[in-house]
Amino acid sequence: MNIKIRLKYAEEALNKPILAEVIRKSSAEINILHAEINARKGEILVGVEGPPAEIEKIIKLFEEKGVEAEKLEHIVTLDSDICTDCGACVSLCPTGALSITEDYSVELDEDKCILCEVCVPACPVRAIKVKRP
Amino acid sequence: MGTSRSYEEINQKIRDGDVVVVTAEEIVELVREKGEGKVAKEVDVVTTGTFGAMCSSGAWLNFGHADPPIKMQRIWLNDVEAYTGVAAVDAYIGATQLSETRGMDYGGGHVIEDLVRGKEVKLRATAYGTDCYPRKEIETTITINDINQAVLCNPRNAYQRYNAATNSRDETIYTYMGTLLPNYGNVTFSGAGVLSPLHKDPNYETIGVGTRIFLGGGQGYIAWEGTQHNPGKTLGTIMVIGDLKEMSPHYLRGCNIDRYGTSLYVGLGIPIPVLNERIAQTAALSEDQIKTQLLDYGVPRRDRPVLRDVTYAELRSGKVEVKGKEVPVSPLSSFKVAREIAEKLKKWMEKGEFYLSPPVELLPRDTPFKPMKQVTRAPLVKDVMTKPAITAAPEDKISSAAKVLAEGAFNHLPIVDKRGKLLGIVTSWDLAVALGTGKRKLSEIMTKKVVVASEDEPVDSAARKLEQHNISGLPVIDADRLVKGILTSEDISRLIGRRAR
Repeated sequence: MNIKIRLKYAEEALNKPILAEVIRKSSAEINILHAEINARKGEILVGVEGPPAEIEKIIKLFEEKGVEAEKLEHIVTLDSDICTDCGACVSLCPTGALSITEDYSVELDEDKCILCEVCVPACPVRAIKVKRP
Repeated sequence: MGTSRSYEEINQKIRDGDVVVVTAEEIVELVREKGEGKVAKEVDVVTTGTFGAMCSSGAWLNFGHADPPIKMQRIWLNDVEAYTGVAAVDAYIGATQLSETRGMDYGGGHVIEDLVRGKEVKLRATAYGTDCYPRKEIETTITINDINQAVLCNPRNAYQRYNAATNSRDETIYTYMGTLLPNYGNVTFSGAGVLSPLHKDPNYETIGVGTRIFLGGGQGYIAWEGTQHNPGKTLGTIMVIGDLKEMSPHYLRGCNIDRYGTSLYVGLGIPIPVLNERIAQTAALSEDQIKTQLLDYGVPRRDRPVLRDVTYAELRSGKVEVKGKEVPVSPLSSFKVAREIAEKLKKWMEKGEFYLSPPVELLPRDTPFKPMKQVTRAPLVKDVMTKPAITAAPEDKISSAAKVLAEGAFNHLPIVDKRGKLLGIVTSWDLAVALGTGKRKLSEIMTKKVVVASEDEPVDSAARKLEQHNISGLPVIDADRLVKGILTSEDISRLIGRRAR
């Protein structure tokens, strides 16, 4: 299972190495996709890969330490009504999340997406949208 | 040559409902199985299709007359200017014209798509006023149904093949071939390969003026050879025309090419009548027989270096080898929609909705394609750069570099190794910042990621780099990264000063 989790740090949690602690206690792969931290609050978007039970454990670990953890789905979408299946995006995608299928359709595998957004402006018909929460 | 059939015979079969049509993809397999002799006997027509961004596209529109009437001198459709240097209320909206309010987000291609979708389009026009056309301005809204003629008229469509593109520079570039990643990071290509209309009749035996085609979802015609038609290099093109009112937004899509501009995706398909075995044979060319060239778009010159020949089969596989590494490939045109077009054209004929038209005149096969005549040569970096450039070694002291810059009254110091290979750059600004930091050696303060120019690069391209990176000097290097000189904004000012005189 591969899921994206948004972590919201309250001010008092900011200077603690919470992410490091959670990583040590879990067998899941945690990948930071986006982080915004200032003096008053912090928000980190992570991609987590592991069995569902492990993901639930991670969420619990964060919450115990005062970090709000929210599972996010469908942040990035490929609108098939707009997409012309040209494939201009596929060679730009660093993780192979965008690919051409056997029948020459363009497909998005959201699990593989790391939200780099290189594809967004490169799509000639603006069919790929990223909704950051 | 065994088989031969005429246009009239094929049209009779369409009327009778027993015409045999296959797509240009299907015929490849058929010929492989049965041989061209048998296929030519069985198959009447081969259908092709392509769906790609075709910048040389646009539409003629006639709006009818206002009261009091206006001789439109300038006109904007959704803030995109159309050409009106013809009669009072005729205009040509071109696919690449940008919106004056939305820039590259919206352009002529989008106006055409919006018209085809039946959307309301804002029309604004100005004029100087005459005795017969007293009005000086007008603002209204129109839809495609409100206007007299809307004729798609594209001077250059359906390139027989197109060059594939990659980028040798160490920065991402944004081209009409899409986004090209640094250091040969990806390859892009255009064209429908096995379905490519003009590549399925490469000897121009059936395609000519007056050939009825699939255009934008409706039926259109080939009006002439396309501009830059260059069949000698398998780069033939066609000029096409058709009624925009009959077309569909599924096959005409406005598009944005990131940081390049707007264009129009055009769906186009040509039926190729199998008049004889030779035509069956050329229509059965497979993607491993259709070659194109991979060019380095990192070199901003007209004649871009050819890196290698590549077949459409390789491009289609998704990976191509460039300079010893496997590089991911992006098509820019939709093979899926190209297939749909070839299928649709086939269905039309099977259902008796589309008849072949014999060309009035075949397309020329020997048109030359000339470069622009230029009365002056655009200056190159080597013409204006300062050479030799004064350089320093990474282990040199910051204090001695400051002295060198002060004495020479210049601001850029390329840092090189013993052979003269570029390692970094130090500017007078870097030296000022380093003051009092306790740093001693140039290697501690040099910028390692250097924006560079090459000797044969046009000055215009180098000036663009200075502007984009907000810097004032570029070391000029050769293919081995040896420093040949330096180009600064002062060199460019001097050039402009010379021109002004």
